[in-house]
Amino acid sequence: MAKLPLEGIRVADFSWVWAGPYCTLQLAHLGAEVIRIETKTRPCVTRLLPPWSGGTFDSLNKSGYFNQYNQGKKSLSLNFKHDEAKEVAWRLIKSADVVANNFAASVMDKMGFGYDAIRAVKPDIIMISLLGYGDTGPYRDYVALGPTQVPNSGLSALTGYEGWPPMNAGFSYPDPNAGIHGSFAVMAALHHRAKTGEGQFIDMSQWECTMDLLAEGILEYTMNGREPRRIGNRDPQLSPHGIFRCLDLPEKILDRTIDQWVAIVCADDEEWRRLAHAIGRHELADDARFATLAARKRNENELEAIITEWTSKRHVADIVAALQAAGIAAGACADNKYLAEDPNLAANKYWVELDHPEVGVKRHCGIPWRMSGTPCEVKSPAPLLGQNTDELMTGLLGYSAAEVEALRKKGALD
Amino acid sequence: MLGALSDLKIVELGEMVSAPYCTKLFADMGADVLKVERPGVGDRSRTRGPFPNDEVHPEKSGLFLYLNTNKRGVTLDVATPEGFGIFEDLICGADILVHNVPPPEMDRIGLNFDLLQRVNPALIMTSIVPFGLSGPYRSYRSEDLTLWCAGGVCVLNGGGPDHPELPPLKAFGHQAGYQGGVHAATATIAAALARHRGEAGQHVEVSVQESIASQLEMTFEYWPYSRLIATRHGQKPVQPAEMMRCKDGYIYLCCIYEHQWRAFVEIMGNPEWAEEEIFSDGPKRAQNWDALTVFLEEWVSRQSVNDLYRKAQARRVPFAPVSTMRDLLNSEHLQARDFFVDITQPVAGTHKYPGAPVKYSRTPWQIRMPAPTLGQHNAEIFGGQLGMTSARIEELTRNGKI
Repeated sequence: MAKLPLEGIRVADFSWVWAGPYCTLQLAHLGAEVIRIETKTRPCVTRLLPPWSGGTFDSLNKSGYFNQYNQGKKSLSLNFKHDEAKEVAWRLIKSADVVANNFAASVMDKMGFGYDAIRAVKPDIIMISLLGYGDTGPYRDYVALGPTQVPNSGLSALTGYEGWPPMNAGFSYPDPNAGIHGSFAVMAALHHRAKTGEGQFIDMSQWECTMDLLAEGILEYTMNGREPRRIGNRDPQLSPHGIFRCLDLPEKILDRTIDQWVAIVCADDEEWRRLAHAIGRHELADDARFATLAARKRNENELEAIITEWTSKRHVADIVAALQAAGIAAGACADNKYLAEDPNLAANKYWVELDHPEVGVKRHCGIPWRMSGTPCEVKSPAPLLGQNTDELMTGLLGYSAAEVEALRKKGALD
Repeated sequence: MLGALSDLKIVELGEMVSAPYCTKLFADMGADVLKVERPGVGDRSRTRGPFPNDEVHPEKSGLFLYLNTNKRGVTLDVATPEGFGIFEDLICGADILVHNVPPPEMDRIGLNFDLLQRVNPALIMTSIVPFGLSGPYRSYRSEDLTLWCAGGVCVLNGGGPDHPELPPLKAFGHQAGYQGGVHAATATIAAALARHRGEAGQHVEVSVQESIASQLEMTFEYWPYSRLIATRHGQKPVQPAEMMRCKDGYIYLCCIYEHQWRAFVEIMGNPEWAEEEIFSDGPKRAQNWDALTVFLEEWVSRQSVNDLYRKAQARRVPFAPVSTMRDLLNSEHLQARDFFVDITQPVAGTHKYPGAPVKYSRTPWQIRMPAPTLGQHNAEIFGGQLGMTSARIEELTRNGKI
């Protein structure tokens, strides 16, 4: 039986909220033992946030948000007001290969767990800090959240309807983007360590990491001195290229009508002709107003109105089936219900449905890749707060049952 | 100093963003990446720009030049048996193949792992595919926009409570491609780590749809946990968390916690309206956002972005500017961290590009060479590495195979 890629790698995970946990989630998926250091005095924000299984907040273990991004990890609950808790963390760090955190800059230093302190006792440690602004530079201590780095990175200035103000991305994109770049970086460092025995520090700035996704906008400025115009869902070189209204969902959800949309793109003139036939407007296939990209761009409002006239009377699934049959790139603008029922995700066994002690069996997003030789799977549901404290204390960390009892009485284990 | 990945040899058969971004992450850390392009036309991103002085030219595309740093390039028509044979020779000497050829096209040209593993038993092959290698959408045509929508993030953006008629709004650029690429890089480096300690080569399949769906925050779970459909039309849980116009640009106001709001009120000079009961906590400010907007806009519109940004940060309130490209290039912080890098490519000239996604204390991220011109390394690779005679290279070139 092949070992998973990161089997035997241990991660002391001081991270919380989203960016850090998304980083260490990947490492857990790949077989690492990820141990989250938590505390009841200040639980991970995501343990407090909805959606909660059962509908109301009555437990730190029922949040879908936390349970999504902490699958396959362990939880060790410590209270750092007590020096003994710090000693526990030190034992964990000494046994770890990787230390991860996404606190504000200096917080790990103040807690006594800065990189210099750690490498003094564990020279080959790999430590990653996922920060809003990075670990150096004049704004090092500025405070940031994922959502603030959407506008800060330039993504908002580039995103928006034509003639409208800057817009957001719809989610806190810099968080998972930092997390996934971070997981790659940690493994690049593990690769280097495997060859040389050397550890290192990885300084990640969410701000910078987001700009790496915006080269087209940034280069428009550095090459031509221009700020790119916001153009909604359109594309300078593809037309049509848009998101079109369909019939609403047939049933209401909580008395609310749910709007449905379809994305349609034609890559060239031939695809436009096929689209014209597929929507029953055969006469438009050779209409000079739409025959070339330049012509379609000139008449794009009209073109989009024609497509909307067809899509708005149909259900999204029927539209996608018809257009895909014609070889057109068309797809549902999926909402979470659509995704949670998507037959393609089912066929690829993407979802994870493990029995969680407080939540039961619920559907979660899984691993977005498949590996033929070292098949990854989510080993366990997200941990209850402190679920693994005792087993880690008496196992890995070498405390006796009596010592654990004493530490708990004192409040060092919370 | 060598990069962390300088011992890895990678062949990329990539178009546009996903596979090229995946291998760029490796190349910028030292890996030897060979990019295989179609003879004559090359990677489609060469047509995308932006182009210096708007001159459309296959060697001057900003997107291509950004995504293909530190790679060598050859041209080869892998869709012909002869070309595929040469491709197999290239695979023989590689650790990793990364491609984003769609599944129907893979079938057509015979690109499959079992075959390539016979050629190179230790090979790691990474297939970045829109919807997976199996499943009912396997052969779906897709573009970046349709994949961004398929992953479930696009529906969350745009419109807002007052504009239900507006469509969901894509984020700028080719974000589905980037996410497919970086998720593939994560799985691929893991396969390389496994191989380094004795596991065999293997096939890594990465779904772009799943890579995006994995980033839905709590949104996905609203259905299984609460039978709710997340929407862009609703009101935010707390306010302010919005962009607003200053006298010289936009700023993002962000008060998640009460102490941040109190600090903002102080910065505004403790106006009387701020003490109204309807603004007394985050959820109330969200419910009464229309009323609050009127007061805030009146004050914010008289401020300068930078001044308000600094005042807020001085009190540890996480405001941020809505940066223009110019703001980014001129940022003292980004300059101090040497984020932007000058890259010179002989045809396109010297321009500033976004730099390292992270900084490593020991193994450098570095630009050793610019993106290749089309077929730039044909002689070096086909002659030097594969040992073809110049007569053979000439013949293949004449026939359009390379």
